[in-house]
Amino acid sequence: MAVLNNKKQKVSDEVPTSSMADIAFLLLIFFLVTTTFPKDKGLAIVLPEQGETQEISQRNIIHLIIQPNGIVDVKRGESQQVQQVRAEQIEGLWRQAITDNPNLIAAVKTHPDAAYEYMVDVLDALHSANAERISLQVLEQ
Amino acid sequence: MSMKGGGFDRKSKASSEVPASSLADIAFLLLIFFMVTTVFQSDQNRPIEWPEAEAAMKIDEKQKNILNIWMERSGTVYMNDQPFGMTDVSAFVGPLYAASERALVISIRSDRQTPYRFVDQLQQELVAAGVLRVVFATQLEQSMQRERR
Repeated sequence: MAVLNNKKQKVSDEVPTSSMADIAFLLLIFFLVTTTFPKDKGLAIVLPEQGETQEISQRNIIHLIIQPNGIVDVKRGESQQVQQVRAEQIEGLWRQAITDNPNLIAAVKTHPDAAYEYMVDVLDALHSANAERISLQVLEQ
Repeated sequence: MSMKGGGFDRKSKASSEVPASSLADIAFLLLIFFMVTTVFQSDQNRPIEWPEAEAAMKIDEKQKNILNIWMERSGTVYMNDQPFGMTDVSAFVGPLYAASERALVISIRSDRQTPYRFVDQLQQELVAAGVLRVVFATQLEQSMQRERR
């Protein structure tokens, strides 16, 4: 018992280390809560390498021409028939088209004056429909 | 130590308590770990209106291998908080891309109202710089629109 008493006396002399943990955890929790990570989300594409051009049969191309007002003109291959759709309709349209022709490539041609968000809407629809072969171009007049 | 019974008695009494002093070490270790491993975005946000997309995916690359290219409505390009002319982009990105051993991912952060001609010019510049992986940074469609300043 004498030994125990001696020990107690020693502990009270020291700096209270138990509160150190509280301080450190408080700091830790503070930084965990206040740290905001940037939201890095987006639509990924792979750019072609420089000078890389491929000849693609017109049969396998679906042209999506984005007009300045956001309306999309859909032209299939060689046919001159133009179908006007909104960006939300492209997902269903692509799913239908890809079952008819698995080699299909989406050529997204955006009018130079069209807002960036219209192109993103179309790209979003294509990504939603799991389209993988997408070509982004600017509409030449 | 030679007295087995007495030594054991004292030891067991001490070990019945939670060792509070080592708790601080654990906490500091965690603190330092998080401080070292956290990588902050290196550039400031530009005031842009984000485009929205449902199919947006997380960029699967380390933060240090992502270069943000901000483009405002007027077509002004910002990289690392500095304005760039459109024709200077490939000269700046090219060496960075080579230094990253072709792992660099470009995150295009453009205002939703930017005319597409500027976006196309930027893409041409990136093709000239040899960049392959590009992400059009967006916000999720359903998420609440936040004012960014």
